[in-house]
Amino acid sequence: MRIATSTIFDQSVDAMNRQQVQMLKTQQQISANRRVLTPSDDPIASARALEVSQADSINTQYGLNAQTASSRLAQTDQALGSIGDLLQSLRQNAITAGNGSFTAADRATVANDVQSSYDQLMGIANSTDGEGNYLFSGYQVNVKPFVTTATGVQYQGDDGQRLVQISSGRQIGVSESGADIFTRVRASNGTFTVSAPTTNTGSGVYTQGTVTNPAAITGHQYRIAFTVTGTGTSAVTTYDVLDVTAGTTVATAQPYTKDGAIAFDGMSLQVDGDPANGDVVQIDPSTNQDIFKTISNLIAALRAPATDAASTARLQNSLNDAIANLDQGLNNVNAVRAGVGTRERESDDLKATSDSLSVQFKTNLSDLQDLDYAQAVSDLIQQQNSLTAAQKTFLQTAQLSIFNYL
Amino acid sequence: MASSIFNIGISGLQAAQAGLVTTGHNIANANTPGYTRQEVDFTNATPQATGSGFYGSGVSIVTVRRLYSQFLNTEVLSAGTQSSALDAYYSQIQQLDNIVADPTAGLSPALQDFFTAVQGLATTPNVASSRQALISSAESLKSRFDVIDQRLRDLRDGVNDDIGATATEISNYATQIADLNQRIIVARGASGGQPPNDLMDQRDQLVALLNKDIRATVVTQDDGAYNVFIGSGQPLVAGVLSYSLGTLTDPLDSSKITIGYKTPTGTVQLPEATLTGGKLGGLLSFRSQTLDPAQNALGRVAIALTETFNAQHALGQDLNGQLGGDFFSLGTPRVSGSLKNTGNAIISGTFDPANVAGLTTSDYQLGYDGTNYTLLRLKDGNVRTFATLPQTVDGFTLTVASGTAAAGDSFLIRPTADGAQAFDVLISDPSKVAAAAPIRTAQAAANTGTGKVSAGSVDTAGANLQQPVTITFTSPTTFNVTGTGTGNPTGVAYTAGQDITYNGWTIQVTGAPATGDAFTVGPNTGGTGDNRNALLLASLQTDKTLDGGTTSYQSAYAAFVSDVGTQTRQLQVTSQAQATVLTQATTAQQSQSGVNLDEEAANLIRFQQAYQASGKVLQIASTLFDTLLALGNN
Repeated sequence: MRIATSTIFDQSVDAMNRQQVQMLKTQQQISANRRVLTPSDDPIASARALEVSQADSINTQYGLNAQTASSRLAQTDQALGSIGDLLQSLRQNAITAGNGSFTAADRATVANDVQSSYDQLMGIANSTDGEGNYLFSGYQVNVKPFVTTATGVQYQGDDGQRLVQISSGRQIGVSESGADIFTRVRASNGTFTVSAPTTNTGSGVYTQGTVTNPAAITGHQYRIAFTVTGTGTSAVTTYDVLDVTAGTTVATAQPYTKDGAIAFDGMSLQVDGDPANGDVVQIDPSTNQDIFKTISNLIAALRAPATDAASTARLQNSLNDAIANLDQGLNNVNAVRAGVGTRERESDDLKATSDSLSVQFKTNLSDLQDLDYAQAVSDLIQQQNSLTAAQKTFLQTAQLSIFNYL
Repeated sequence: MASSIFNIGISGLQAAQAGLVTTGHNIANANTPGYTRQEVDFTNATPQATGSGFYGSGVSIVTVRRLYSQFLNTEVLSAGTQSSALDAYYSQIQQLDNIVADPTAGLSPALQDFFTAVQGLATTPNVASSRQALISSAESLKSRFDVIDQRLRDLRDGVNDDIGATATEISNYATQIADLNQRIIVARGASGGQPPNDLMDQRDQLVALLNKDIRATVVTQDDGAYNVFIGSGQPLVAGVLSYSLGTLTDPLDSSKITIGYKTPTGTVQLPEATLTGGKLGGLLSFRSQTLDPAQNALGRVAIALTETFNAQHALGQDLNGQLGGDFFSLGTPRVSGSLKNTGNAIISGTFDPANVAGLTTSDYQLGYDGTNYTLLRLKDGNVRTFATLPQTVDGFTLTVASGTAAAGDSFLIRPTADGAQAFDVLISDPSKVAAAAPIRTAQAAANTGTGKVSAGSVDTAGANLQQPVTITFTSPTTFNVTGTGTGNPTGVAYTAGQDITYNGWTIQVTGAPATGDAFTVGPNTGGTGDNRNALLLASLQTDKTLDGGTTSYQSAYAAFVSDVGTQTRQLQVTSQAQATVLTQATTAQQSQSGVNLDEEAANLIRFQQAYQASGKVLQIASTLFDTLLALGNN
């Protein structure tokens, strides 16, 4: 086969061109520290890299969100903790005030204590976060949640719970509605409330009662009416139980014993002391009573005079009511706080997960598009050698010509 | 006898001289593009018959011949036209390849930043800076769409310019080939049929150059003239006549410059599909197979983002308590009627937000045959026939805006081509960002049951959406609904967790509500801390909104990038492979037709020696003659 002289030149130049292009590419890869410079270098890896970098950025965002959630939940948790402490101390106040040796002045001191706790509680209920947003007003972060009106403390917020996205499938609540914490608290034992009208003249003191058979609970209003016959040591006290809602009599002329159980329709309570003739104890289905109302009632009871048997009994009954209601409030706060704590831990966990995921994504991304330096440098040297060889051999070949000898 | 020795010597001298001239010509043209080496054909002259046999009478020159192989030359032409098509395509797509996945200038980072800002809004919905950040990042997303779209438009303009320049070049080659045809015919006639080798080389070189611009087939006439055809058989050169190509605006797409064939009555458009090979073929393929789909793919991401984001934004409530307005602007599908249409129908298109998932990156052709409309999806050839318009298909609706179509009318629909260009941010007031939901639910403070109401979701922004509605339980298993727009149903059966839907919202009540318990749904007045809508907007980032609900925006963009990458990669490989084929064909062709200087050097010596030898023959013949003359002197 013959070869045209131009072919020798053209092909050598082509070969050197190709090698120079390769070298330039390797050099660019090294200077950019990226294996994939354009999508065509590795179409699959570049598409994957886009997806992974989005996943990474979303993950980073979730991490930040989890951090935000944690800090907001921590704030809420702290507030709820303070509320719990206050309710505990109020409960202690109510117990202390029940001490029979306490004078009106002593009770007034306790009342002042309670009043200051009330103010503190109001302050916490209306507390704001670092950005000036109310913690317990639901969605309406700029609306003061609790205001005092003529009819008591009113909740101005709503039931909305602010959410933060902390993972692709999880939005975590970072706020608690004030209504859930302070307003929607079932009174007394949670099923029924026991009360005595102020017209009672005896020294009867009732307990809050318990539910003995939930299935038998009717949700009706009842009335226990005491009748005393005889006087002095021959006095005999009996009681009737009336179902006010149904208009029926549940029990009649039951003998009364001090601190003895009075049980009917799945409920049981005790009355202690000496009820007077015509005294009544009323039983109603339990309703919601906000904590502020409970504390206001306590203050009012502490400031009311307790001079005779009837008023002392009233004080005692009020203190018992207050203790029961504060317990309900405390349970309620603890339940909310437990939820907050769980979520706080969850967002902390997710933050940690997001951090470790981030490392994985970065590794993944690096595997997809970053350069293996050792490989690249070795490639470069090899390409350099090939180019040098091509140049040298070209010169040698091109110099061969008969014309040199003519 | 002596005179015949003279004659033999002279014929030898002439032959050697012809050889030297031709060898010299070869050496001189060793580097001339398209040059074919030449050889002198010698033959022994007619012998002299005598009684004692035939005496040779020297050498005679038959012709000067070029070492040309039709077969090998055609191989080079065919490989060359293919190679230059792939090179043109590759050099264009490389520019696209560089744009789309740039870690700083690509769309991806801007898209991510935008959704990071949406998340920021969700975390702190009532902070002015997070709202402003969202608007700013939306603006930068818009400018990123603009930049990429502008680069695509620049590429398109470049292609249009190149097509024009190539058409001119092709016309010039045609004129020159026709001119050479003329000269070759004349030269052959004048030389009694001897081939004008160098003119033929020039003409073949022009044909080779022409093939670098467009695939052209050559048929040789009896008189030696070339007829050159392009496309589906359009003559470019017919003997001594040449025709020219011109450019015209595509009648269906004004953004396209296309190739036309100039006739005395005007320029006739040539179907692009028939124009293959060469630079022109490469440019046309790039435009139809890569650039158009690229612009469509980019536009589709913009349109899908606009439609879905706007739809969700409209279900939210801004800081002023108003329902959210359009966040991004949405263009319309580009519809253009053919210039050849005889009817006066104007077809217009709108996007169908209910079917974003149906949007494709394809273009469509709508034809009318007098009774039915036929919609052809150009990407996959899917055909749908309708008797009337409007029709909604693949995420857009076509309507006859005015006029009537005539049979044979056709329209080109490019739904997503202008999507990126139309993309704009419509909200500049941070308070107009709808981060909150327009409704909120509540349970009455006096509720005694364990029933809980969900935060509720908004499905449609109807007129009664924000009307206060109360759900009151009349027993643990039934409830009444009161409120404008609900129809105030009574005794609705209660199932825990079941959807309760009225007025465009849906809520769920769970747990065991007691008789008399009430739940309310009402306007979210003052709900500045509510981020429910912002969370839903943020979730759009990963929602599978495209391709029938299988692809997110980012995946759609990644698929586009991967497409461009794969195509570029493929072209890189095939253009390299084709270059190798071309090199091989050229080497084979050159091994026959190319000049080898060593060979020519040897020929120089050969003919020099032959010349010297023939000279010696003359010298001896002369000596012989002198001998005879000397005889007379003595």
